Amino acid sequence: MYESKSGFFKKYVDEVGLNPNVGTWAWFLHRLTGVILVLYLFMHLFVLSSSLAGGETFNKWLSTVQNPVFHFLEIGLAAVVAFHLLNGLRITITDFFFVTKSHKTIFWIAMIIFLILLIITLIVFLPRVFSHH
Amino acid sequence: MNQKPKKGSAYGWLFQRITGIFLAFFLILHFQVLHFTKEWKIDFDVVTHRLDSTAWVIFYLIFVPAGLFHAFNGAWQVIGDYRPKLGIQKTVKALLWVLGIAISAYGYYLIVTFTKGA
Repeated sequence: MYESKSGFFKKYVDEVGLNPNVGTWAWFLHRLTGVILVLYLFMHLFVLSSSLAGGETFNKWLSTVQNPVFHFLEIGLAAVVAFHLLNGLRITITDFFFVTKSHKTIFWIAMIIFLILLIITLIVFLPRVFSHH
Repeated sequence: MNQKPKKGSAYGWLFQRITGIFLAFFLILHFQVLHFTKEWKIDFDVVTHRLDSTAWVIFYLIFVPAGLFHAFNGAWQVIGDYRPKLGIQKTVKALLWVLGIAISAYGYYLIVTFTKGA
């Protein structure tokens, strides 16, 4: 990676600027979504931990995270997971099947699948955002 | 830059891909079961009922450490981008392993809690 004294995030932005190709963007977004998912994992674990205080406490927490705002955020979570998953499979396929030369094509195929999954997610999740329960 | 690569240094790379493939299938199933069903409201009974099944318990027993390995090994790669000093590298690596194993154990404890039910 590019050696610079710049800050935590700027270093990554600089890298994209130095080589503004699809692959660099994919790498940058894979890092970004990965970090988001690690942080989410801790939040997920925190909510699950409430089960130790019994079923009622767990249900209280679950009803908090099943309100319209969180259902809206879940669309973002699904998008982050879908991108990381599909780009991760692209990396694995290019590595294991020695098709590095086609990595850009595989990336765009992955992004088409990503868009399809995003549309399905919106169809399923948007009604939950606007439903009153 | 003239350092010889250490033997065995590709294990992190390999296991990141192996756990990644596992997690791809697991996460699709996880999302399908929890969010893409008609009965999408989740509560304690729903979770304990699912964990009555041995297959689901086995699923989670693999899912938890695979996810944590992938998460922390990924974090390790991000840290590596900043080329920390060797001493810091060793400390962070040890810390990630301890944290990963501890959280896995905690995750297993939570799974047991759910299998016991209310």
